[in-house]
Amino acid sequence: MLCAIATRTTKSVWSRNRNPATFKASSRRTYHGNMSKTTQLKKVFLEMGIIILIAISIGLAVNHRMLLDILNGTKSAPIPSPTFSSAENSQIAPAGLLQVRELYEKDLALFVDARETPAFDAAHIRKAVSLPVSEFERKQPEFRKKHDLSTRLVVYCSGYGCHDSRLLSEKLYNTGYHDILVFEGGLPEWKEAGLPVEGTNK
Amino acid sequence: MKNSHKRILMILLRMGLGIVFVYASFWKIRNPEAFAGSVAAYDVLPFFLNHLVAATFPWIEATCGILLITGYRVKAAAGIVAALNIIFIVLLASTVVRGLDIDCGCFRQGGAKTPAWQVILRDFIFLAMAVSIFNYQRGAMFSRK
Repeated sequence: MLCAIATRTTKSVWSRNRNPATFKASSRRTYHGNMSKTTQLKKVFLEMGIIILIAISIGLAVNHRMLLDILNGTKSAPIPSPTFSSAENSQIAPAGLLQVRELYEKDLALFVDARETPAFDAAHIRKAVSLPVSEFERKQPEFRKKHDLSTRLVVYCSGYGCHDSRLLSEKLYNTGYHDILVFEGGLPEWKEAGLPVEGTNK
Repeated sequence: MKNSHKRILMILLRMGLGIVFVYASFWKIRNPEAFAGSVAAYDVLPFFLNHLVAATFPWIEATCGILLITGYRVKAAAGIVAALNIIFIVLLASTVVRGLDIDCGCFRQGGAKTPAWQVILRDFIFLAMAVSIFNYQRGAMFSRK
């Protein structure tokens, strides 16, 4: 019943102004007719709903494969790693969660957090050290003193939307660290996997 | 302001806003998985929902953008755009409060990071544009003789 009313209203909303030639005339009639302000607003909200529904349907239709893959579990954790374009950075390799996790558990790498200090203080991978890209020049000498150039580094930041880990790894590479992995899933993926995190706001 | 000037201003506003939204949706539609990563970085939704949002949301942006540009159902499109910008602003503010240091993922995915306050400011401008388009359309409905 409700559905029928909705369909009827929908139809009238869409059909009334469909023809551009009659649009002006009909809209003037509606605007200055006896349609109240709230009815007008209701109409607009209805239109908004229809627009959103149509858009969502298109999105679902276009991306149904990706979504089904995820639902069936045939798609592993997110997103193919963007490749590093410049050849001189060939030693900087992207790394997935599994690889990074193994390094972590066997204590085979130093985890470097590329985010700003407040973000690091709030939450970071346990045992990771902070080296914000923005303060690299200032903090780099100290970092260099503490960690030998042959140290294997895993650099991370806030996940796929974040560029800092790559910037930082390039800078580290240029200072002489040549065994660098970029953990592109970053802290969000790490947290989601339930791996150890520490900080004031875990 | 003279009515005709205002009309032209509003056309420019809705064109501008429409182009921004179509442009923004373009990058997300081209690479929904990268956009899912950007959504995941906000750390508000579980894995599958991030992808569901990534699959559908850009199309809402694109549809509204196209409606704004073409001038068809402008008021409704402007209303949606305003609502979206309010959501963006709330989400971005929450990343600042929670101390997340992420890129907004607004346009090109995985590019250099734009500071959150700058994005919030930008979204307020878009919100103002959308609201004035929304209001102007109603103005035309009710006050013009």
